[in-house]
Order: sequence, then C-alpha cells, then structure tokens
Amino acid sequence: MSDRGLRIHDLRVTVAEQEILKGIDLHVEPGRVHALMGPNGSGKSTLALALTGHPRYQISSGSVVLDGLDLLALSPDKRAKAGLFLSFQYPAAIPGVKVSSFLQATRQAVKPGDLPPAKFRQLVMDKMDVLDMDPSFLGRYLNDGFSGGEKKRLEMLQLAVLAPKYAVLDETDSGLDIDALRAVGESVNAMRTDPLSQDTGFLIITHYPRMLQHIKADVVHIMIGGRIVKEGGPELAHVIERDGYDAIRDETAVGV
Amino acid sequence: MSEAVLVAAPDRWERALEALSADPEAQSIFDSAARHSAYDRYLRTSANRERPGRYWKIDLDALAPSSYDHTAATTAHFSGGTARGVVRCDLATATREHRAVFEKAFGKALAHAPGKYAALAQAFVTGGAFVYIPPDVCVDEPIIISYRPSRGSAAFPYTLIVAAEGSSATVIEQHDAADESVFVCGVTEVIARTAATVTHAAIQTLPEDATVFFTRAALTERNARVSWAAADLGAHVCGSTIFTAIEEMGAQAHIAALFFPHAEQHVDFVTTTDHLAGQSQSRTLIKSAATGNGQARYLGNIRIAANMHGCDANLKDDALLLSPHAHIDSVPALEIAANDVKAFHGATVGALDEETVFYMMTRGLDRRTAERMIALGFFEPALDHFPTAALRERLRRLLEQKITAA
Repeated sequence: MSDRGLRIHDLRVTVAEQEILKGIDLHVEPGRVHALMGPNGSGKSTLALALTGHPRYQISSGSVVLDGLDLLALSPDKRAKAGLFLSFQYPAAIPGVKVSSFLQATRQAVKPGDLPPAKFRQLVMDKMDVLDMDPSFLGRYLNDGFSGGEKKRLEMLQLAVLAPKYAVLDETDSGLDIDALRAVGESVNAMRTDPLSQDTGFLIITHYPRMLQHIKADVVHIMIGGRIVKEGGPELAHVIERDGYDAIRDETAVGV
Repeated sequence: MSEAVLVAAPDRWERALEALSADPEAQSIFDSAARHSAYDRYLRTSANRERPGRYWKIDLDALAPSSYDHTAATTAHFSGGTARGVVRCDLATATREHRAVFEKAFGKALAHAPGKYAALAQAFVTGGAFVYIPPDVCVDEPIIISYRPSRGSAAFPYTLIVAAEGSSATVIEQHDAADESVFVCGVTEVIARTAATVTHAAIQTLPEDATVFFTRAALTERNARVSWAAADLGAHVCGSTIFTAIEEMGAQAHIAALFFPHAEQHVDFVTTTDHLAGQSQSRTLIKSAATGNGQARYLGNIRIAANMHGCDANLKDDALLLSPHAHIDSVPALEIAANDVKAFHGATVGALDEETVFYMMTRGLDRRTAERMIALGFFEPALDHFPTAALRERLRRLLEQKITAA
C-alpha cells in the first residue's frame, strides 16, 4: 500500500513557453484534506489543469503518479477513469445536454455498470439533498444559464456522484454566498464520512481561508511564484488570515 | 430572381405539361392556362442566390434533368388523426368532394412565395394530400402523411392543409424513398383561418443521390398560429423554403428547422416571415451542422411592413462545423419599416468548443463520446419543437448516425 496517494514530483509546467510551475512536490494522501493556498497568479489553477491534462499546459519535467499509475501518460478521460476529479473554477456549459443524462454518462464512464438505474437515481437524489439542490436541476441543460453558485453546486454534485480517488477543487469557494459555501462544505464532509468515499484524498485550492472553516484541512501548502514555499498544519491557514501572504513572502524570500 | 434561365431538355417537360393539360383530373386541380403560366414562371426565375463557388458548387437552376420519369403518380399515405369531420384525401378527390374549400385555399399561401421550384411544383401538380379540419375541431393525434417516390421518378407532392376557424391539428409529413435516383419538387400549403392552430413537422430523409426542393408556405389569419418544424437530412441537393405570411393581427409564426449536410450533401435553406399585420409575433430557430464536405446556406428573412406596430420578431440561427471542409453560410436579413416593434436576430457559426470537450473528458468521457454529446445537444433546442417523442427520438438517431459517420 506504500505507493497509494497522488504523488506530484518536481513538476514543471509551461504555458505559451512561459514556465509557471517551477518544480512542485506534493503528496496528496488518501482520505486526507490538503489545502493549497496562495495569492492570485501563483500557479494553483495551472497545477489543477496540468494534473487533469489540459492540452495547453506543457509538462517540461517531473512526474505525477496516482496510486502507482503514471498519470501524465494518460489522456484526460483515462485520468478520470483512474480516479482523478477536478472541480473547475469555470465549468463549461453544454446546451442541449441535460444534467441527468450527463451524470449518468459520466458515472457509466468512470464506474461502468456498478449501479442499477433505480439505485443510481436514488444516489443522485441523496447527493442533491445534501447540496440543497432542487430536483428540477436534473432537467436543465448542463451549466447553461446557471448562476455562479449553481455551477459550483453542480461541480460538487458530480464530485459526490463520481466518488473519485482524488479530487482537486479549484477555487470552488470563489463567488459563493455563505449558504452555497456551507452546502459545498457539507457535501465534502458527507463524502468523508461515507464508507464509499471516505478514502478520497482532497486537494482544495483556495486563496481565502474561509473555505477551511467549512472543510477542515489536515495539511496546508502555500504556493507562491510557482513553488510550494511552506507547508504545515491547519494553523497555517490562520496565519495567512491574520498576516496575509506578504509575511510568508518575506519569510521565504521568494521574489514575486 | 431576375434573369431568364433555360433548363436542359425543356421539350420533355413540355410534353409532360401538355399531357397534364389534357387530363381532366389534373385539370380539375390546376387548369391548363395556370399550369402553363406556372411553368413559364419556373423558366423565367432563377433559384440561385449567388454563383456557385469555392464552397457551394451547385447551380440550382440546372437540377431538373429530363431523365426522370414524369408520369409516375404521386401518392400520399395517411395515418392517424381521424376525428369528427376531418377530411384526409388526395387532391383530385378534394376538387370533387370539397370544391368550395379547395378553391378558396389552393395556391393562396403559395401566392406569396414566388420561388422557381414552387412554380415547377404547381405546373406539375397531380397527386398529393388534402387535409381539412372543420371549425373548432381539435385533432389530438397527429395526422401523418408519407410520400415515397419510386426509382427514377420526378415527384411533385403537394400537401394542402386547411384549418378552419378555431380548429387545431398537428400534421407530420415524411418524405423518404426505398429507391434511388429521385427528383422531388414538393409544396406544402397551410391555411390557418381565424384562431386556428397548426403544427406542421416535415422530415426529409431521401436517398443521398436525390435532388429535392420543398416550398412550405403558410397564411395566417387573425389570432392564428402556425408552427413549422422541419428536418432536412437526406438528398444530395436540398433546397428548402419556409414562407409565412402573417396577414392579420394577433397571429403567430414559429419556425424551428434543422439540417445537417455530410459527405457531399448541399442544403440551401430559406425562411421568410412577412409581418403584414401589426401585433403579430414570429420566432425562428435554425440549427445546422455540417461535416465531411457538406455545404449549407441559410437565408433568414424577417420583414415588417410599414405601420405594422407591435410586431415581435426573433430569429436565432446557430451553425456547427464538424470538419475543416464543411461550410455553412448564414445570412439573417431583417427589413423593418415600422417603428414600435421588437426585432432581434442572433447568428453563430463555430466549431466544437475544445474547452467543453476537455471539460467532458475530465469526467471520463472519451473524445468521440464528448463530441457526439455536444453535437447532439446542439440540436436539442430545435428538436424540442417537433411534435412527438417518437419523432424526436427518431431524429436524434438520424443525427447521431451523421455525427458518428464523420
């Protein structure tokens, strides 16, 4: 079991010939919550999109291994099948594709034939209940005309329905009102106590510590200028809240 | 539609015209003088909106070759929609048994649609379908009319639908063929009397070497509503025109159309909605895709005549290109001569959005599945306007075949 985990080693990523990530080492453990914090432009979203295989993000060196599997050799869909999930900061809209049929297709792709239709419907309804989503959502076109909060709720619904091994949440808290934020927190916490998803490892990207009032982090990583500059326990988030990122910048002397 | 154009081997067409002019049954539908005048209009009119070029390679004026069999009978098959007093019969029967209704309706909607192939269809009209809905009768079950021309024939299916005051009905018109090499030049006329509601869905899946022209024309009286749903999926060359004349206040015209040329298919689609009365409403929604070397052109006319206040017109047309050689030209054209109206148009042309494909792939869907779902979803807003679940499902399957064949 020693190779379990999402192991990112010396990852360097360039976008349009500019190096954004300058050697990232990060180990997301099963069943644990890792918070990745950092100011705007530090490279957090780049990491999320590079992990999932966005074609615009070029890996120049390093490795990403998911439970022993070389993730970087796989196309985005195969990474999802291997157990990786990304909650997008800006999810795509797909007019004409209903939420219900999309959920069904993705569950079928990631976990083929594991649930009879009636059980699957029940699962979706239960997860929607936790997220305080009206069942009418299922009949709407995916993210088409959704508010920011509705989009994030739908990302969380997909996360709960797909129950991946590792989930990256890219600024899921941004633009959320307090009720939506609480619903997101409850959904993640419900996953963590559910025997079917309690081993999911989370990498929660945020630049506001308020997200961590709803989801308790086990480890906090601070990213500045494309590097992880500091790691610590949940108390690190409180330091950020009190002193901001400047204190860490000074302390670690990263010239950004 | 100006310069005179002559078609190949007119002698054979003219002989066929003479034969019809001597046939009493054909005479009862449309008399000799009217046929000759329509044929003359066909010869004098051009169907080309622009010259054939790099993308669009077809000369629309040279598509009625003499090699087709002009004597094949055009027969409509009916099913569904029987209700108290509803008439469903062929045109010749209609001229005998429902003369008064027939004469007040035949050609009245088409009078506003002066197209080349509408004229040809009138010149050669023999068979077809006549549907009459009596006043205040609501027909719940759709009336289905099917046309299946036989190999090598030139067919002129003519459907005339008359919905009397306060009536409502849904008509589904299907055009397909078991055999190849057909030329179909069809007309559908809808006459919606005061406060009548007519939904007409047309689905064309003719063989891929067929040449087809359809002119669909409606005339709406006060508070009437006509909803067109058209799917042109077959044929090598398909010229389709939907023409709606809003003649009295309070009337509504709704148009939803989808077409999808693949391989070497060409589709020329025109919708024209004439607001000739105030306080009227029109909605036009066009969804087109093209793949392979498929070519399509769309022209969407909305005209609001002077002093016709309170009109509300909305035209939306989206085109999806699924291959680098596919091409869709889209031209919305609004002519508005009145103040105090609402008119909106929006057009988009684009390929599949890569960010959307990526998003779906991160959910475990492979690229082909993601692309198929996006492309099918693209048509959904138009599919919503087709009247039955079975028809929508059939259309989804046909569209899916085209997408996966790409």
